[in-house]
Amino acid sequence: MRRKASLVLLACAVFCAALSPLLRWYAFPRLARIPANQYQDVVLEAKGATLLDYGTMRSRKVPKVTIVQTLRGDVEAAKKIEKSAGLPVVVWDGLSYVQGPDGKMVSRVSERYIFDAHSQDPVHAPGEAVDGDTVKRDGIEFKWPFLTQKRDYEYFDAQARTTSPIHYKGTRTFRGVKVYYFEQTVPWTKVPFPKVMPVQGITPESVARTGTTRWYSTVRRFWVEPVTGAPVFGEELHKEELRGGTLLGGRAKVTAFAGDVKMREDYIEHTVALVKHNRTLILMLTSYLPRGSLILGLLLLSLALWLEARGRRPQDPAPTQETEPEPVSA
Amino acid sequence: MRALIAAATGLALALALVLTITAMGTPTGRTSPKPLLTTVPAHP
Repeated sequence: MRRKASLVLLACAVFCAALSPLLRWYAFPRLARIPANQYQDVVLEAKGATLLDYGTMRSRKVPKVTIVQTLRGDVEAAKKIEKSAGLPVVVWDGLSYVQGPDGKMVSRVSERYIFDAHSQDPVHAPGEAVDGDTVKRDGIEFKWPFLTQKRDYEYFDAQARTTSPIHYKGTRTFRGVKVYYFEQTVPWTKVPFPKVMPVQGITPESVARTGTTRWYSTVRRFWVEPVTGAPVFGEELHKEELRGGTLLGGRAKVTAFAGDVKMREDYIEHTVALVKHNRTLILMLTSYLPRGSLILGLLLLSLALWLEARGRRPQDPAPTQETEPEPVSA
Repeated sequence: MRALIAAATGLALALALVLTITAMGTPTGRTSPKPLLTTVPAHP
């Protein structure tokens, strides 16, 4: 009976010990994925921003500029690309809609971002675009990979349509969450005009004919929760200028937009709560379950060995009768 | 020999469990019918 119990314990011990690496290195990459049907929105605000009035072509201070950023997963497109790429793929259709203080549209830029659902590496497939222009991303965008590392990452800049490093600048605590702080500075770069301009009748082509060009520079900051790779807070010190051409009436340049763009407070609270919840789910696969099952496996193995050792211990010898010594003849 | 069989059983069960869970995978769902926003939402 004791022998049987030790064999059952041994089977359980091997089960638990084997489960540990299988969960961490086999199940985790296959189960921790961005859902293909994800839908999320975030509101960012730039208070006390400078904005170009296209009527007078002069910059003015405005109380607030609001940016609504929406991401929507296209499940059908993801399935199609998955078949050819042989990877779990997510296709995000995004829209950055910028609204002035009067509620009127300042700009709207659409995007299609295709990436690996687990690693977040960009996947190149037809349709990858920014504002209708075909692009080839070589870096991440919006989100970092699961189990983010303390190192620089390549980050895609949708305005410049280029990829450059975003630097790891240290570990911090944000609203009670341990985060990695990343920063990227994009120097003044000539960028295309948005396809949809804020004034009717003005198109990027008509502006281009005047010789005026659009320039942009930004300091991009992200506070990233490292387990989920999700930014819990984002900020951009964003500047845009129009330079040269006849549109500016002899001026060399005019500020089109300048502001400190930050996530709105209610969205920060919502994101922090969501990330805390998702962090626990990821930790279940990467830490809690693998470690727990390994410890349990070792305990069960010790118990099995102990039972086995007790079963094999020799029985105490039976008491023997004392006998009188036989007389020895001389 | 019995110990070897017991260990192999434990290993096979662990493999079977993990393979089943990963084969089931994560649900993909359907594309959200909600639009890409051009108005400022009041709250998340």
